[in-house]
Amino acid sequence: MLHICHLYPDLLNLYGDRGNVLAFAARCRWRGIPVTIHRVHQGEQVNLARMDFLFLGGGSDREQNLMTKDLSKRIAALREAIEDGLVVLAICGGYQLLGHYYRTREGQIIPGLGLLDFYTEAGPRRLIGNIAVELTLNGKVFKVTGFENHAGRTYLGKAAPLGRVLAGYGNNGEDGLEGARYKNVFCSYLHGPLLPKNPPLTDYLIATALKRRGLPFLLDPLDDRLEEAANQVMLRRLGVGP
Amino acid sequence: MRWLKKTGAKILIFWAVLLAKATFWLSRLLAGGKGSSLPGMLALKVYPGVLAALAGQVRRGIIVVTGTNGKTTTNNMLARIAAGAGYTVVANREGANLITGVTTAFVMNATIAGRINCDYACLEIDEASFPVVCAQVRPDVVVVTNFFRDQLDRYGELDNTIRYIRGALEKLPGVKLVLNADDPLVAQLQTASGGERAIFYGLGENAGRQGKEARGVKEARYCPLCGHPLHYEYYQYGQLGKYGCFQCGFARPKPGVEAVQIQTQSINSCLVLSPADQAPMVLPVSGLYNLYNALAALAAGLLIGIEAREITGLLQSYTPATGRMERYNYLGKSILLNLVKNPAGFNESLKVFLRPRGRVDVLIAINDNAADGRDISWLWDVDFEVFQNHHRQINFFICSGTRAEEMGVRLKYAGVPTEKIIVEPHLEAAVDRILCAPGPQAYLLATYTALWPVERCLSRRCKKEQTHAAHMSSVS
Repeated sequence: MLHICHLYPDLLNLYGDRGNVLAFAARCRWRGIPVTIHRVHQGEQVNLARMDFLFLGGGSDREQNLMTKDLSKRIAALREAIEDGLVVLAICGGYQLLGHYYRTREGQIIPGLGLLDFYTEAGPRRLIGNIAVELTLNGKVFKVTGFENHAGRTYLGKAAPLGRVLAGYGNNGEDGLEGARYKNVFCSYLHGPLLPKNPPLTDYLIATALKRRGLPFLLDPLDDRLEEAANQVMLRRLGVGP
Repeated sequence: MRWLKKTGAKILIFWAVLLAKATFWLSRLLAGGKGSSLPGMLALKVYPGVLAALAGQVRRGIIVVTGTNGKTTTNNMLARIAAGAGYTVVANREGANLITGVTTAFVMNATIAGRINCDYACLEIDEASFPVVCAQVRPDVVVVTNFFRDQLDRYGELDNTIRYIRGALEKLPGVKLVLNADDPLVAQLQTASGGERAIFYGLGENAGRQGKEARGVKEARYCPLCGHPLHYEYYQYGQLGKYGCFQCGFARPKPGVEAVQIQTQSINSCLVLSPADQAPMVLPVSGLYNLYNALAALAAGLLIGIEAREITGLLQSYTPATGRMERYNYLGKSILLNLVKNPAGFNESLKVFLRPRGRVDVLIAINDNAADGRDISWLWDVDFEVFQNHHRQINFFICSGTRAEEMGVRLKYAGVPTEKIIVEPHLEAAVDRILCAPGPQAYLLATYTALWPVERCLSRRCKKEQTHAAHMSSVS
């Protein structure tokens, strides 16, 4: 049994990001791995030590402020769980929140949770469009696709990048890096949503969560022809296909 | 000097109108196009003041409809009401709702001398274009239908959209607002009109029957004024319902135009209560959406002095625009075509599958051109999960358009068996398959730029039917 924690599903549900939770759960169920989804709202109790996968999406600025307030009360438990290997996927606003701070165009500093070593600054225009990123998982190289839409430019400190931009902007449109990674925390700007469109990454997250619990983590292959076809169409369109 | 300036402007209007009219007819003749934005674009290039100059001649008033869903339908209903009451009307009827489309509507109704002879202008305006168009046309009445997330890649976030509209309204002192009382995101605009009292419309009873549970897309979990949780007595659909904030007291305003005794079957019927009168209303289109659209048009109609009974009489024979629940027949197979463009609208369209009426073939065409929204991740906010329990009555799903494969992926994760998912990116081939499929009926859902090609294929091969008592919700 894997426990999925969807944090603030009503606040952070821009751009269909709930699809990430659907995909993680579906790919477990299709393999006979039981899952429970815990939808945790503002102010509600959750035992993070019991969770196997935590999803944090992006919201509008207003929603994000509400969420930051609530999340800062859980920071000790969250840090402990992350150090203990909790698998986390944070997208866009959820990603930015895990870093040191977000600096607005007006120069105002919005503190983040400081769980990962990076910071974000608002840029003059939003970085919007389809994106392809190359990731290396278990020594194998994958091309993932998605859609990015962010004003923030993220610059990594000690946090490792999630992947390398093949087409699109990524973290800041300058250094060719996308996302961030620390222990089992995966951060990305990719909507789309990321997991349903990119099964190798989803399966990697599932296997990592199973491994952490000492459960068998070799996953049965699934029929991913639809996902692969969608991925190929976008890679070809972006000129980075095979 | 002033005389010279005035004459100069007159000459410019002349050329702007002439060029636009020539372009309109040429594009119709040569390309078979609808010519709804190019003429306006050229006219504005020749004389940027052309829209303000023509709009300024409207005799009785300019009514603007904006919001996420229901603009085209509401505006078409309103234009019909005004025309039916004997007024001459200029309207951008074809959903061409950017400044270019609005300008086209005016120049096509102008004489070469740049004169417009009309009582009312009924204009639907895209939310993002609302500030710039309003600065030119100075509306007397603004109708706001609802706010849902729609094409976020173009507009930024919903909060920004609402901010644009509020900002533009604040620059229109004395404008009369017609607002949806049931949508807290719309109702909050009542403070934007500088002291003028807004007229609210809404449903006076729980017709959505969704109860207290927030299901599907809910934009307004929190009070738009103070940020505390918003409490609902019930929801109609989306975030529309009977709401209130315990913290600051913001609550659903009591509507001046209210529907009661609501029946929503394949047609809508209700009793409309208005300050002066009450009138029964029967609409030949289904869906709670259309009830809201009709109430919005009715409220605006009352505002310009038309009587409730006259309005409901005119609405009874309303016919929907392209892609809003159009019905075709192909050798006895009944076909419904509907436009989809955001989660709230798509969810309403899917409700048809909750009322099984025999076996169905389904076509979903998703394009990601600029007019559709480049980002298609909103498909994951649509409740395709309804098919988990209702896919048995569906022979198969043909996914088409530029993002056909992704639509297939979405259905797969919604629990549709993959053997029922067919990917055919070419629209014409997809329509072909659906026409030749064995089901006695077909539902076709298409995004904006996929809609016209699908509609063309259907028009060529099928018999178009009257849309009376069609069973599909119209979403515009």
